Amino acid sequence: MAQATITRTTDARGTGPVRRSRGRRHRGEDLTKILFVLPAAVAMVALFGYPVVKNLLMSLQDYGLRTFFTGAAPWVGLKNYSTVVTDNLFSDAMVNTALFTIGSIAFQFVIGLALALFFHRRFPLSGVLRSLLLLPWLLPLIVSSATWRSILEQDSGILNRTLSWLHLINEPVPWLNSPSVALIAVIGVNIWIGIPFNVTLLYSGLAEIPDELYEAGQLDGATGWRAFWFITWPNLRAVASVLLMLGVVYTIKVLDIILGLTGGGPANATQTLATQSYERSFIDFKFGEGAALSNILIAISFLFAIFYLRSTRRAIDE
Amino acid sequence: MNDSAVRRAVYTVIGVLILVVMLFPVYWMLNASLQPSGNTLTAGFLPLHPTFSGYQRALSEQGGNLVTSLIIATGTVILSLAIATPCAYALSQFRSRWVSVGLLAILISQMIPGIVIANALYTAYERIGLLNSIPGLILANCASGIPFAILILRSFMLSLPPSLVEAARVDGAGLFRAFVAIVLPISKNSLITAGLFSFLFSWSDFLFALTLTTKGGVRPVTLGIYQYLGTQVQNWNAVMATAVLSAIPAIVLLVAAQKYIAAGAIGGAVK
Amino acid sequence: MISKRIAAVLAGATTVSLVLAACGSNGEDSSPASSGDSVKSLTILDYYNNDPDKSLVQKGLDSCASQLGITIQRETVPGDTLIQKVLQQASSKTLPDVLMLDNPDVQQIAATGALAPLNDMGLSGDGVIQGMVDATSYQGKLYGLAPVTNTIALFYNTQMLQEAGVQPPKTWDELKAAAKKLTKPGRYGIAFNANATYEGSWQFLPAMWTNGGDETDLNTPQVSEALQLWVDLVQSGSASKSVINWTQGDAKDQFVAGKAAMMVNGPWQIPALEKTPNVKWEVVTFPLNKPDQTPVAPLGGEAWTVPLNKDQAKQQKAADFVKCLNSDENELAWAKARFTIPTKTALLDQYVKEVPSMKAFTEQVKTARSRTGKLGEKWPEAAKVIYQAIQLALTGKASAQDAFKQASGG
Repeated sequence: MAQATITRTTDARGTGPVRRSRGRRHRGEDLTKILFVLPAAVAMVALFGYPVVKNLLMSLQDYGLRTFFTGAAPWVGLKNYSTVVTDNLFSDAMVNTALFTIGSIAFQFVIGLALALFFHRRFPLSGVLRSLLLLPWLLPLIVSSATWRSILEQDSGILNRTLSWLHLINEPVPWLNSPSVALIAVIGVNIWIGIPFNVTLLYSGLAEIPDELYEAGQLDGATGWRAFWFITWPNLRAVASVLLMLGVVYTIKVLDIILGLTGGGPANATQTLATQSYERSFIDFKFGEGAALSNILIAISFLFAIFYLRSTRRAIDE
Repeated sequence: MNDSAVRRAVYTVIGVLILVVMLFPVYWMLNASLQPSGNTLTAGFLPLHPTFSGYQRALSEQGGNLVTSLIIATGTVILSLAIATPCAYALSQFRSRWVSVGLLAILISQMIPGIVIANALYTAYERIGLLNSIPGLILANCASGIPFAILILRSFMLSLPPSLVEAARVDGAGLFRAFVAIVLPISKNSLITAGLFSFLFSWSDFLFALTLTTKGGVRPVTLGIYQYLGTQVQNWNAVMATAVLSAIPAIVLLVAAQKYIAAGAIGGAVK
Repeated sequence: MISKRIAAVLAGATTVSLVLAACGSNGEDSSPASSGDSVKSLTILDYYNNDPDKSLVQKGLDSCASQLGITIQRETVPGDTLIQKVLQQASSKTLPDVLMLDNPDVQQIAATGALAPLNDMGLSGDGVIQGMVDATSYQGKLYGLAPVTNTIALFYNTQMLQEAGVQPPKTWDELKAAAKKLTKPGRYGIAFNANATYEGSWQFLPAMWTNGGDETDLNTPQVSEALQLWVDLVQSGSASKSVINWTQGDAKDQFVAGKAAMMVNGPWQIPALEKTPNVKWEVVTFPLNKPDQTPVAPLGGEAWTVPLNKDQAKQQKAADFVKCLNSDENELAWAKARFTIPTKTALLDQYVKEVPSMKAFTEQVKTARSRTGKLGEKWPEAAKVIYQAIQLALTGKASAQDAFKQASGG
């Protein structure tokens, strides 16, 4: 199937500038290339070098409230990891994190893609409407979670009021009050927050696909679904994969939304690894354990990152 | 009215409906901001007896914070793009085994909890005197802006035909000049997208603002809103009003940027 | 500077005698001479980040600053981020000279060795409510002083009770009956906070402590009976199922909106209640399980502490500043302006006379105790078990009898 897809880069790829540049401008060229990367490399090391190392070390230490004042943090090896992994809540938090991440990303992406395709059709106001879609991102999270809490309120919330007015429900739904529903509600809110991000990036990806490809495809009979499958999707793949990758990384560590909506409740039904990590660090002041949990989160994202890198490398080498 | 005009009008109607659903919570916040209590417990669908006291308060107290937020967010966009774009180009076009290492490092940086970064920056800023300063906050917000922009720009630049740059190089342009003259203009669309999100990340930042300021001087609106959210007493009416007001200049900016994207997409038909 | 002095004099004009007494009595051991005049300014960190509290506290701080002849640099942060800020500043050795802490946090921070014992610098907890001294002492030494305190009690909507022919409840049975009778479509009998935070535990304490329950052993009938009260109120439909997500602010919103006839809440809500004059309310102490019990509620309020400082003169000046904040004059000024209660027992009668609406709360404070009084720095662990047990019981995941065992991981 891969050969049948139409992408715009395959033709020129093999004769890229790099291979040709192994000539007389060789050395100066290498220097320029380094200069392209240098500012970013410096910025990354300055902004992240210390925190990354610190987080790793912290997870191997008994890092408590006292440490901040005295600096003393005895090494405890992997004890923090065993403590957090054997905790009663760990498996629940793990499952919730998986459900939260998969649920959020799947719906954000699919809805985002549908909306991006829709807005890609040029019609009056499409640009303005699409930019207004970003409005939720301009609201402080404390405000949007408070608003959602009031919308989802069991007794007086507008959602239940509307649903029962439409006779869709007989009993008010305990959106945030029932351990079996709360996670769904929280995922729903997170999907809402994530859609604008997905729409905007996918739309930009769509906008980059030259019309000529579709014109060429039309000659081969690729229209409608076939056009999507053989032209749109392959050309969107680079953007889509980075988007999904970032989606995983950002979603897996979502904290404020859950804290703002349920605080991990009711009865721990919405605890994720991220909320647990936060709780251990800033409620229990066991920073070593909090760091251990966040490193477990990082390790999970890391697996996705490797996966992502392999898939993009394949895309380049194709 | 011909067929396609009708169809396009239908699309607009559908688009508006989608927006109505998606933005309902924003409307609900607007509704709350017009209630004296700042909540919608007793509110109907429409704010029939609106009060503007929250707005009066927000206007008189948050104006400066709003400007601070705009300056920081704009600064973050400029700095992030300036640093990220060449790097993204390099990572998309140069062939080296370091590319994967670089990408992995960038991805890992995005996995670190914000609070860990904020704490580390606090210690560093305290030593070099960047606390309570706009440049300090811009730099900190670049911690989300730069890696994000690199990843996004790179994924767009992967599809740049190298022949474009080659053509310029044949004319004797250096790698850097070719980058500025050819790559940048053609990437306008993706630059704006990456810039847009750098703006949004920085705009919604609360953590860095809280951590890296110790007095009232430099205060973005996300922090300013806490003027109304005390430990025990919350003035939601003013909170909601501030949120509405602060969204207005930003959304104007975004609509303008999106217009630019549309223009860019058409102008980018060079390919 | 001069105008500040004048303001301070005016502020204290009504209680000049108290000022003189406060300055004169212990003046010897902490006189400005010992702290030296080299100290010109102090930095202060607190979480009164919103008005009116922010500016009311500022007034007290300013008046003490001008009494001591110094200037102050004050930083205010949102309440739930204070500890985070303190930790950052601790690790970079940039703690302020005067630090406000919520009273249950004092022992934890004192245990790290970050705070200076105040006894050595001429301060004492003499005359202060014992519960508050317990909260701000660690291993026999005093580390902070709270000028004012607060607690929670039962607010009720006088009009609604009157219409329903219900008397303010004195016992749990009356409370349940009243709540049931006051419940009608669109309105619950009572609102309280049972959320999964320390606030949820705090709201539970009046019931738990009054019934003889104790945080040192949560697996007792006294504690589970108290939890049963919450369960009964929710299961009978007299309280919303949403209480497991409500903050105290939410409970107040429900009360103000007429969607709850009673609420468990603190006096800091009074300014907000006064903004809606059509809601008429009164306050009574939290009901008792059995008539012979005494109400025991938790003490709230923030203590002012002095982080250890290499600069001895500065540390002493900071201690003097805390002392000034805890002068009779300032206690009364803050209590009156902010609907809080002075912590010195000798001031209580005068205070109730001047602010009658605070009578029930003042009564409640007299017998109240502090959260960290018994467990000290171990309190947070118990508090966590409490709120988790409440969540389990109210969501039906455990019975009131089993909830505490389950929440403590048993």
